[in-house]
Amino acid sequence: MAPTVKVGETIPAGTFKYIPYTPELESNAACGVPVSLDITKDWKGKKVVLFSVPGAFTPTCHVNHLPPYLQKYDEFKAKGVDVIGVLASNDPFVMSGWGRFQDVKDKLLCLSDIGAEWSSKLGLSMDTPGGARTARYAIILDDLTIKYIEVEPAPGVSVSGADAVLAKL
Amino acid sequence: MTPPTPTLQAGDTVPDGTFRYIPYTEDLKDTVTQSLDITEDLKGKKVVLFSVPGAFTPTCHVNHLPPYLQHYDDFKAKGVDIIAVVAANDPFVMSGWGRFEGVKDKILCLSDPEAEWSGKIGLALDMSQLHFGIRTARYAIIIDDLVITYIATEPGPGVTVTGAEALLAEL
Repeated sequence: MAPTVKVGETIPAGTFKYIPYTPELESNAACGVPVSLDITKDWKGKKVVLFSVPGAFTPTCHVNHLPPYLQKYDEFKAKGVDVIGVLASNDPFVMSGWGRFQDVKDKLLCLSDIGAEWSSKLGLSMDTPGGARTARYAIILDDLTIKYIEVEPAPGVSVSGADAVLAKL
Repeated sequence: MTPPTPTLQAGDTVPDGTFRYIPYTEDLKDTVTQSLDITEDLKGKKVVLFSVPGAFTPTCHVNHLPPYLQHYDDFKAKGVDIIAVVAANDPFVMSGWGRFEGVKDKILCLSDPEAEWSGKIGLALDMSQLHFGIRTARYAIIIDDLVITYIATEPGPGVTVTGAEALLAEL
């Protein structure tokens, strides 16, 4: 699989739904209300690291892909990253639940690309028996321009992992 | 949204079908999904099955599942062999939600992909316009040796006839 956009191009427009983190969610008794993130509006002028997983709570993603991004949060911030987002095709409630399960708080935005719709604009969705899913990839954006875009060539985490992305910042 | 009416009632046999799930283990090995075959695995058993439109969504998360966990011993005292929660989310999400809620092995967290089995009883909801796809309605069933002894769908938002206390009263 290869992305249909490349370094130097402007990221395609799109929206993601997500549930913003609030301390009330910590009690596990509330679920929050989904809001929209508009890529072109909300990420203009920002340095963004976005990594995508095929599914919340699935093997690899859960254990090996997300945690290093959380552990290295300060290093990302030191390199001037404004937003770190994790993306999957799960609905925003599941993404919020997964984020709380992983204790990301407000460090990572847990974004829902329902139906892998936006990811497929980049050629980065895959068909599974359960429907379209986002591939395992990572993107660095600087003021809406793609600086890095890599999709995992095989199972496991390499070019889309926290270390690989940090090295490119 | 008007709730759907089940196409089966007390006295009918449950339709065949398969749910997928990840059995609970202490070390949380998430990698293997299993199938639960309704006719084979629920034969001869007393089962309480309740369904939610989605894992981690409002109402379900706060008001529907926790009372079933809190009343676990009451259900066991009434001879219930299996308590299960069903939704259309994939088995990894169902397993994650179960761990999030601390259910351990007390409640099976089952995936009914695309609400296929629930649709056989007329209890699937098309939530495509909300981008949620096909989901299971909020319902509860008591099954005794594959025969339905109680089936109810929630008439409005909130949890009444499909809640733990309502089901306990029927056992």
